[in-house]
Amino acid sequence: MNLAIDLIARLAWWLLLAPLLPGVINKVKAWVGGRRGPPVLQLYYDLMRLWQKGVVLSKLASPGFVAGPAVAWVAITAAAMLVPLGPMGAALSFRGDVLLMLYLLALARFCTGWAAMETGSAFEGMGTVREVSYAVLAEAALIAAMLSLSVQTGSVALATMLDPSAGAGAVLLAAGIFTVLLAENCRVPFDDPSTHLELTMIHEAMILDHSGPPLAVILHGASVKLLLFSVLLTEAVLPMGELSPFAKMGALLAGVLTVTISVGLVESLLARFAFRRVPLLLTTAILLCLFALLVAWKGGAV
Amino acid sequence: MTAGPFLLLAALCLVVGVAAGARWPRLWLVLVMTGTIAALVAALIMLLGAPDWEWRNQFSVGGEPLHFRLDALSALFLALVGVVGGAGAVYAGGYWPDSHYPASAPRSRTWWAALILSMLAILLSSNGLHFLIAWELFAISAYFLITLDNAQREVRAAGWLYLAVSHAGTVCLFAFFAGLAARTGSWELGPMREQAGLAPFFWLMLMGFGVKAGVFPLHIWLPSAHANAPSHVSAIMSGVAIKMGVYGIIRFSGWLPAPAAAGWVVLGLGAMGALLGIIFAFAQNDFKRLLAYCSVENVGVIMVGLGAALLASAHGGGLWGQLALAGALLHVWNHGLFKSLLFFGAGSVLHATGTREMSRLGGLWRVMPWTAGLFGVGALAVSSLPPLNGFVSEWLVYLGLFDAVTGRGPAAGAAMLAAILLGMAGALALASFLKAGSVIFLGAARTKAAALAHESGWQMRGPMLVLAALCGLIGLAPVIFWPAVARAVGIWLPAWTPAAAPAPLLTLGTVHVVLALLIAVAATWLWHKAHVNGLRRGLTWDCAYEGPAARMQYSGGSFSSTSAQWFSWILRPVLSLRRPRGPFPSAAVRLETFPEAVLERIVAPVGTAVMQISTAVRRLQHGRLQAYILYIVAGLTALSGLVLLGGAR
Repeated sequence: MNLAIDLIARLAWWLLLAPLLPGVINKVKAWVGGRRGPPVLQLYYDLMRLWQKGVVLSKLASPGFVAGPAVAWVAITAAAMLVPLGPMGAALSFRGDVLLMLYLLALARFCTGWAAMETGSAFEGMGTVREVSYAVLAEAALIAAMLSLSVQTGSVALATMLDPSAGAGAVLLAAGIFTVLLAENCRVPFDDPSTHLELTMIHEAMILDHSGPPLAVILHGASVKLLLFSVLLTEAVLPMGELSPFAKMGALLAGVLTVTISVGLVESLLARFAFRRVPLLLTTAILLCLFALLVAWKGGAV
Repeated sequence: MTAGPFLLLAALCLVVGVAAGARWPRLWLVLVMTGTIAALVAALIMLLGAPDWEWRNQFSVGGEPLHFRLDALSALFLALVGVVGGAGAVYAGGYWPDSHYPASAPRSRTWWAALILSMLAILLSSNGLHFLIAWELFAISAYFLITLDNAQREVRAAGWLYLAVSHAGTVCLFAFFAGLAARTGSWELGPMREQAGLAPFFWLMLMGFGVKAGVFPLHIWLPSAHANAPSHVSAIMSGVAIKMGVYGIIRFSGWLPAPAAAGWVVLGLGAMGALLGIIFAFAQNDFKRLLAYCSVENVGVIMVGLGAALLASAHGGGLWGQLALAGALLHVWNHGLFKSLLFFGAGSVLHATGTREMSRLGGLWRVMPWTAGLFGVGALAVSSLPPLNGFVSEWLVYLGLFDAVTGRGPAAGAAMLAAILLGMAGALALASFLKAGSVIFLGAARTKAAALAHESGWQMRGPMLVLAALCGLIGLAPVIFWPAVARAVGIWLPAWTPAAAPAPLLTLGTVHVVLALLIAVAATWLWHKAHVNGLRRGLTWDCAYEGPAARMQYSGGSFSSTSAQWFSWILRPVLSLRRPRGPFPSAAVRLETFPEAVLERIVAPVGTAVMQISTAVRRLQHGRLQAYILYIVAGLTALSGLVLLGGAR
């Protein structure tokens, strides 16, 4: 019984809270730009409307076009269940779950890419290629980040890895993971989610042909992924293990909000980079994570 | 129950299969199936816990009495030989039938049986001399299988390259086994870890077997041989034959004392090979060549696991080495299964369309739904994505590396680097197989050949189904396979006694099952929901362009263009470009090809230089007597000069 309640509460956090984040980001952008902007709950309305809508399918698409978003959504949600939620801990924690989380996100990437390639559109091909190519560098940065947390705590399970703070290297690690967050979630300066020029997009270019419920699933999955990265970043930096349960929850919420607002600020203040400069920024993220790893190694705290 | 009778049955069936193969195809199929199933049963008996099987006989071959042995480590490889050998025999019936290839199909059957027989002999031989004989027979049968289609120039070139490089490796093995026999006084093989003087032989062994396994800088024969061989041969070459090299390295690194640097070198070669191999794979536009390069990557993953195990055994026997080696051994199976599946799928496509160029294909899922689906399963598995088998073994290797790091032992730094490189290789593998799968099977047909393709028959689909099912089984229930792998690890280093499956592996299996169920439910539900809401077919949205054409789709080359630029320092792409000129441009060409960088930029120039030097030196020997007398006089004068000078001092 307790298990069921725990599972429901957890799903509620991940699935219901996630669409709030893009709304907050948009609000921050509007505020910095001196506009009123869409309501914070805009994505909820969009998702509800899309879920009721019909679907236009490309003549070339196979059933994989609809299955892809579904698999990606399941994979992202499953990855989220492995991430501990402050006082609630993780739904499931075992040695090596950190790798399962990374590879579940990879599964989501494969399936979104597969669905995009179904249509035979060159724009969607472009988006897919960018997504999977930049992921190579992002993956290296993420593994280095996870290694530095492992070194810091002597553990290979997310729940214990994220308990203490990242120690002396926390600032480096935060900068590294934040950069990867921007890249993996296709935010400025890697991608501009609000542009309407297909040539310059990554994620939005991949989903040009999706409509109705599959599009809703994709958008929702993307917001869960953003929340996942925000929680990961917050817990990696803040010493969650030393706080009382309420303080933990508060710290987690405040952390996620801070990350979201930062994303909004970055988006307001920076322009999208030229694509040839993206690898440089990602390499910087790798270096930041490597230095965090080095600090954790030399710090010697176990 | 002992393995002996089954091994005898397997050997007998295969020997008769070699003799009968050319004439009687049905009898051959029955014999090979019986032989491979018997070999599989023998392997399973060993893996389920039977004591080591040994058989000695005074009957001597080459002056050495016969001595065969099967333990859990060789049984692990034997099981793979059994599965893929049998599956390939069925597949060959549909893919390389007598009706199409009256000349080469009978040869294919003969050498197929010979190849499996020689691999059986390699795995059983416990005598250096017999091992060498079996190894040579193995290399030759593989050569004849690769060059089945010998009317084609590239096939002959690939076969020749394979034969030459393979023998360069065999020379190292001759030196290795002969040196070992000279040091120990006998050709008998077995554990000899205590004799520290044998450690330098490790390097000869690594060279010799590394060539066959396709360890990175020694892989030069592999891409062209695997791409040009018929697909059933590519499958067994990539899935099983290169594993014989892996077997050699694992077997003898367990039996011999390892030099101090061994673990570092193997780990470094593995991590570097994994990344570079997949970089080359991603750039390829020939889908069989892409699969071949991906084998280089996977052998790299296996080497990372083995290198970690060597480091662990050299530095106190940490349990992380056991995990990494278990991952490597499980990856031997996994790679054998999904790579054979992918090559069978590639063969299906090649059979139906007649081209290996993926940018000439597209939209094949409509006409070949089975092949497309099964290739998709293989692509997910090879990208090591949950819930399939590739992830399980890579996860074990990663876990070993992460444990090495948290243990803060001397190997921690190397393990960190290896983990990061493996992560990059994994992401690139995903990109490569997304490219292969989507460019071949999705979108619209780019050429007439692709539009007119047809699904392959049951003889080709059946083996693919079996292999895909095994991939799924290892992914969903990895715990079943743990005892077998743990026993093999225990043979490699007896200190690592077979332990119960680690608890996380059990959890991982459960998570995979739940994940698979959820995926099925979610996909069905979404499909259903889309239909309920109303589903309409329309044109692909191409920025409102009304006439999208198949040629406008992203091709294989455009897919890898971004990362090919990043890695151009190693890929060395060759670009031929003719820009459109004038107000009414008529023709423009942009052709980017990726040469075999290691072969053409390193091995070939060195080889040419050696040839030139040898040719220059050869001028000294021309058969003119006067000149020889002059050499003698000059030599004598120089010598007497030396003696005189020495005497004066």
